[in-house]
This record gives sequence, C-alpha cells and structure tokens, in this order.
Amino acid sequence: MSESVALNPNSAWNGGKSPFSVSYGKLMMWVFLLSDAFTFSSLLVTYGCNRYLSGGSEIKWPHPDKVFNHFPFLHGMDLPLVFVSMMTFILIFSSVTMVLAVEAGARKHRNDVALYMFLTIIGGIAFLSCQAWEWSQFITGSHEGSSFLVDGQKIHGANLFLNEYGPAAFAGLFFIVTGFHGFHVLSGVVLNVIIYVNVIKGTYDKRGHYEMIEKVGLYWHFVDLVWVFVFTFFYLI
Amino acid sequence: MEHTDHSAEHTTEHHEEGHGINKKTIWVTFGILSALTLVDFAFFFNMDASMSRNLIFVALGIIKSYYIVGIFMHMKYEVKRLAGIILLPFGFILGLVAALLYEGDRWSVIKWFIE
Repeated sequence: MSESVALNPNSAWNGGKSPFSVSYGKLMMWVFLLSDAFTFSSLLVTYGCNRYLSGGSEIKWPHPDKVFNHFPFLHGMDLPLVFVSMMTFILIFSSVTMVLAVEAGARKHRNDVALYMFLTIIGGIAFLSCQAWEWSQFITGSHEGSSFLVDGQKIHGANLFLNEYGPAAFAGLFFIVTGFHGFHVLSGVVLNVIIYVNVIKGTYDKRGHYEMIEKVGLYWHFVDLVWVFVFTFFYLI
Repeated sequence: MEHTDHSAEHTTEHHEEGHGINKKTIWVTFGILSALTLVDFAFFFNMDASMSRNLIFVALGIIKSYYIVGIFMHMKYEVKRLAGIILLPFGFILGLVAALLYEGDRWSVIKWFIE
C-alpha cells in the first residue's frame, strides 16, 4: 500500500482524515436523512397516485381549502390556509433559531447556544400543539357532516375507514403523512432537550467542540424541509 | 481537487469556520423563505386550481429546499462531492414522480381491464 501513497501524497483517500471533510457522525446523519427522505417521498408519491386515480370515482377528492379552514376561537369562519400557514412560520422560525444555535456553537458561546436551543424546543412544542389541534378538528369534523350518505347516514369527522371529506384514502394518508412528520418533530424535540441539558451541564465545553449541535441541527432542518413538501402537497395543491 | 487539498490541514471538526455562515446570512435566508411562502399564498388565493398552479407550488418548494439544504444545513459549504452523493438520489425520486405523472393513468386502464 505504501507505493500508492507515494504516488499521490496529497490524495484525500490516503487515510488519516475524512475525504469529505466531515466527521463520521455528520456523514451518517446525512445518510440517515437520505433514507428518511425516501420514506417521505414514497408516502407523498402514494398520496399523488391516490389523488390522481380518484378523479373518476364517485366520491371526489376534497379541496384542501374546504377541509382545513378552521382557526382556534374563531368558530364558523371560513379561513382556509390561515392556521397551517401559522404552523409553517413556526417551523421555519424554529429552524432559524436552530441555525443560530449552530452559529453560536461555532463561537463556543455556551449561553447563546442554550438560549437558541431553548427557543428551538419552544418552537417544536408549539408546532406539535398546533398539529394536535388540527388533528382533533379533523377527527371531530363539522356539524353538518358529509354531503354524501353511507348506509343512509351522514358521516361526521374522520376515522381510518370513513370520513366526511372524501375517499377513505384521503383521511388515511392525512393521518400517516402528517402523523409520521409529527412523530419526527416529536423525536426532534426529545433530541433537542437532551442536547439542551448537555449544553447547560457544559458537556460540550469539556469536549472542546459543539458538533452535536450541528448534527441535531441537520435533523431539525430536515424536519422543516419535509414540512415544506407536506405543506405543498396536502394544503396547497 | 482544491477542496481535498484545502481540507488536508483541517481537522474534521469546525471545518466550516470562515465559510461565511453568519447571522446576516441566516436572517436573509429566513426573509427569502418567508417571502417564498407568501408567494405561495398569492398563487393560492389568486389563481384557480390547475396543473400549472401545482407545478408553480412544486417549483417554489424546490427553491425553498435549496435555501434550507444549502444555507441552513450547510450543504453549500461542504465538499462538492459529498453534496453530489447526497443530492444525486433525489434525481431518481424526481424521475419516479415524472414517470408516474406521464404513465400514471395506465393504472386506471389496467383496473378497467380487470373489472
């Protein structure tokens, strides 16, 4: 092997350093995020196929602005997209506080890192609370119920088999896609809390670098990235 | 090759120092992402649902993901080959989506045959 090293002493592949100039942990986080992106893509592709194929069926696929048009404390008002846009801004903003925490970590400023991690956790919890409200609204349904009858009865709200909005696949896909994304947000909040406690305890000062913030930051931004597409496919299109 | 030569002196940690991710960049990116979301709303409320509107939404989503992955996730400042390896598989996903949009109605034809 020594000959090949002698041939090109400057090669990044000689060993002793990362050829991609990233640590093992960060590279593996990228690989994990890539595999996770495949999972989310497959779910969104399934959504697209189901919606496309439902075009000729009796029960039409619902318009998102007719389903998601509620806002807390404002009963009976038709407010499409308002609540979900608030959720979008909460998540984008928590992404900003996360990247500010990464920036503070590069400066090794412990108090700044702790502050921004705390704000990120608050943003994540706020987003999850919004999603819980959205789900309960979706499951409870409207007073009027469905415009079509099943066994001579109107349907109120949604479950896995029937829903008042449209085909069963609509509610099923809503639950799996937003639920899977919400579960990612929940795991992200848990990870952020662990990192936050470590920051407070001074673990990363002892370690000499704040690279853990970057790793958990990658995950958090990925959750934001997925929401951009869930938002596009479920609420806009 | 400049990248790998350059990285030789660096340890794996904190390679990003001096690569221009600062508070100003972060807030500018936040402004861009918010503005793009507002453009989404403008199209949502001022344009009737159609395939072209859907394509506009997807295009805006891809632009947003460029800023999230490039700036927030720091991909713009990583070694180019790493970015290529991570981003290339997304080309396959786009290929799958394009194929399904082009050939997707074949499914309903098959269903019709079976029934």
